[in-house]
Amino acid sequence: MDHYKLPISDINKLFKDKKLKPSELYTEVFERTASTESIIHGHLSLFQEENIKKATDADERFLKGDELGVLDGIPVAIKDNINISGYATTCSSQMLSNYISPYDATVISKLKEEGVIFTGKTNLDEFAMGSSTENSAFGPTKNPWDPSRVPGGSSGGSAAVVSAGSAIASLGSDTGGSIRQPASFCGVVGFKPTYGTVSRYGLVAFASSLDQIGPITNNVSDAKILYNSIRGYDPFDATSLKDVNVKQPKLEKAKIGIIKELMEDGISEDAKSEVHKVSKLLESQGHEVIEVSLPLTKMSISIYYLIAPAECSANLSRFDGVRYGNRVNGNTSYEMMEATRAEGFGPEVKKRILLGTYALSAGYYDAFYGQALKARSMMKKEFTETFEQVDYLISPTTPSDPFKFGEKSDNQLEMYMSDLCTIPANLVGMPAISIPTGLSSSGLPLSVQIMSPSNTDNTLLDFAQNLESEVSFDALPQIQGDGE
Amino acid sequence: MTEKINIKNVAKLAALKLTSEEEQKLEKDLSMIIDHFAALSEMDLPDEKITIHPLGMSLNLAEDEAFKFFTHDEALSNAPEAIDGQFVVPPALD
Repeated sequence: MDHYKLPISDINKLFKDKKLKPSELYTEVFERTASTESIIHGHLSLFQEENIKKATDADERFLKGDELGVLDGIPVAIKDNINISGYATTCSSQMLSNYISPYDATVISKLKEEGVIFTGKTNLDEFAMGSSTENSAFGPTKNPWDPSRVPGGSSGGSAAVVSAGSAIASLGSDTGGSIRQPASFCGVVGFKPTYGTVSRYGLVAFASSLDQIGPITNNVSDAKILYNSIRGYDPFDATSLKDVNVKQPKLEKAKIGIIKELMEDGISEDAKSEVHKVSKLLESQGHEVIEVSLPLTKMSISIYYLIAPAECSANLSRFDGVRYGNRVNGNTSYEMMEATRAEGFGPEVKKRILLGTYALSAGYYDAFYGQALKARSMMKKEFTETFEQVDYLISPTTPSDPFKFGEKSDNQLEMYMSDLCTIPANLVGMPAISIPTGLSSSGLPLSVQIMSPSNTDNTLLDFAQNLESEVSFDALPQIQGDGE
Repeated sequence: MTEKINIKNVAKLAALKLTSEEEQKLEKDLSMIIDHFAALSEMDLPDEKITIHPLGMSLNLAEDEAFKFFTHDEALSNAPEAIDGQFVVPPALD
């Protein structure tokens, strides 16, 4: 029997009942990796050698009844922009191709304490900038449902390996949809927590006011387990949130708003009909579904593509060839820096650094960056006021099903539009979850996104879990692996 | 239409050496993106406050206490060039 698609709580029960050993599960997952990796290229590195001992150590703990918790012995993949001490953190960039992290991200320390086995590091768009993994310096990841299509991005590797069964779960990072969009494209669950609830310490920064680490999993229950193991205040992250008590949305007889502006032009009929299908299910469960208008969501791409590149241009200034990363020599420090950055960064990263530098430069700051920050405030107000009327918001996760390689790479605005539905949650800081609900007319996965007010993450997860059990999405990707 | 982007100047500010092909392509790409921002930059928002932290929180300050973190060797472990416990760089002035 295959175990790699079982919920983590079921696997844990099998471990406790001595019906399965962590080393047996690890071997199963690794064999799955060995047979699928040549097709999907989800991992950039694998920690197989050291993991055999980690798995047998977990066997011993379960044998003695000394297990560390529900995640003990569970193979989890980590996006390669999250630091694990002693291993490479490349961010899928030539700039960091030789970088070995001297420290653990806080989320990694927490998962280590729970006995998680890290399968390896997963592929991403360079420095998490992209929506397809086509921007990885080490080659793209393929979608397990159809290798001629992208897995989404930037956490494309993290989503693809969970979908393909070469990890039980994974961590990604989400700046404008980078967990939810690839999760949707690969037919798995992706959760972006409330900004600040999960420490960003040890995550290589892209846009600090938007970045958030979160889980990609086979089901909502696993997302809840992982989220609650990585969340919590961290003094090493200046934006880390302490627990706050806020009014929670209702779980029964809730009011759900369909965002009108995310059901209009640019959204495929398949994606819209998925939202309508889920709305009917929600109504049959006793919830009320209404249409709400949040006009500024139409402006979210512009707001995001000013704020994120501005923050990126500041954050990526640290890659100067001095303290870490690769270096190209020059006669002066400035020549060394500009040559190093020219060689180390790929085209999309260069474009965003330049866009951010332009938006922050004298004469343009107020018209662009300052204006985007004001519009962000207005957008927050719109969402706050809307959440006075409804408990949750619902939309498609992505405007369409997964697109083909090269289909959008020559049309940058169309590529940026693929994050239209996911960006608002990053701009206002609220939690958002993508759950697979059906297949498109092409047989590819489609998802809906549910959002709730900030700091209501566990209630949102409970609500999504109820919906997931009603939807009963059980389709699996076609990928079988080599020789199967 | 937004005014033309001075790509050479922006690249200099960003410490990015571009080839002439890159300059041409990036100038075109960036102009297209900046044009897309026109509707946002024309919005009338004179009295609106700005939002930097999405939840409007102030940043946490660390306690002013020394604690052990990286060793000297760890801090230098990824340096492209280091001598006698220090990062080495080319001259800062011409």
